[in-house]
Amino acid sequence: MKTFDPVQLAIPFFVLAVILEIVLARMGKADARYEAKDTAMSLTLGLGSSIAGAILGGAIFAATVWVWQHRIFTIPMTAIWAWVILFFAEDLTYYWFHRIAHERRFWWASHVNHHTSTHYNLSTALRQTWTGGVVGTWLLWLPLSFLGFPPAMVAIQKGISLIYQFWIHTEAIKRMPKWFEAVFNTPSHHRVHHARNARYLDANYAGILIIWDRLFGTFIPEVDEEPCRYGTVKNLASFNLFTNVFHEFVGMAKDVAGHPRHALGYIFGPPGWSHDGSRDTSHTLKAKWRARLEREGEAASPLNQEPAPRS
Amino acid sequence: MDKALLIQLLGSAVAVSLLVAIAAWARIPRPTPPLGARSARALLAEEFPDDPVDTLWIAADGAGLIARSGERALVAWRKGDGYVARDLAWSAALAAKTHNGFVVVKTADGAPRLALKDGVWPPPQLVSPNFVSGEAAA
Repeated sequence: MKTFDPVQLAIPFFVLAVILEIVLARMGKADARYEAKDTAMSLTLGLGSSIAGAILGGAIFAATVWVWQHRIFTIPMTAIWAWVILFFAEDLTYYWFHRIAHERRFWWASHVNHHTSTHYNLSTALRQTWTGGVVGTWLLWLPLSFLGFPPAMVAIQKGISLIYQFWIHTEAIKRMPKWFEAVFNTPSHHRVHHARNARYLDANYAGILIIWDRLFGTFIPEVDEEPCRYGTVKNLASFNLFTNVFHEFVGMAKDVAGHPRHALGYIFGPPGWSHDGSRDTSHTLKAKWRARLEREGEAASPLNQEPAPRS
Repeated sequence: MDKALLIQLLGSAVAVSLLVAIAAWARIPRPTPPLGARSARALLAEEFPDDPVDTLWIAADGAGLIARSGERALVAWRKGDGYVARDLAWSAALAAKTHNGFVVVKTADGAPRLALKDGVWPPPQLVSPNFVSGEAAA
């Protein structure tokens, strides 16, 4: 079944934008760094993701159609109000998908390859997962079809969200206007999301609207005093493609095999969780960071204060 | 395989190759000069912020380092235009094997080859009981 796919249409734009960013950086007109092997990895992961998506896409779409056939309401695809509601509902769904994909190891194992680049440029945006269909994160979107949004409509909105998130993967744009930064996900907010600095971990999960992070207490602003360092807490030792795709699954399997009594923790605990507390999670890394700040007497500086968690 | 899909795949592969070629042509990686004593310590401070450095050894080509922090060895080595950092037991680092002028340090998921100045591992100053912090750094 053929449906309108905005992502397919946007691919030429993605290619031209990457070329433009590289050329502008080469001319010294834009702040961007590209390393050839890193770029090759990002783009190959993107290409592989398309293939993986094509393999499982039909089954996922069929499941979505089946759910929609048992829908509560019938929502017309031609109504503007329906698109407005779907825009917010899909973006909220994306926020929770993304949060789970970072905070629970099983889904992090699938999502991590989007974060293994130590660079942050437009090619990083194309560094997509191969295993999203297998780990079942698509299930999170099924309630939208159960409510009555046609599967094609949901797919289009997901595509629009993906396209939106392309342009924010850049260091070339420092800050957008204040009102825009307040409402939308921006390069600045998403740099924080890709940073491995302890202060920035597990933050800014937004797709299009940053309001969800502000609402649920996961928003952290970028501060000029601490530039983002990109990648994962432990950067990968290899440029091997399959290591990139599967390393966290392999690590998880080894942990489960080594400590079967703690299997649930190693699978569904936060990344870095261990039964004996010998490893670091984002939570412990942040605690150590705060302790360092206190030791160094910097805690009093407003720049070093994290936003207060919302209740 | 569907012909349109095949054409799409081939086109995508060509586009990927083109973009990688342009990225290589542009020569705009992050500057990564050889490590010196100061930059090595800055790297350690970023990667191991809670670990005091007792001794520091920098590879002859400046592309890696090994530092002692108590009974642990902190290792960092260049990958692309950045660094990868891991730790292991200090005794394991001292026992690392050499090959063709490199010491090969086996970490949990990588085995960096770090260039030796005179082919000897470990350097005498790293095992000296009177070692003073930073003495080994070039």
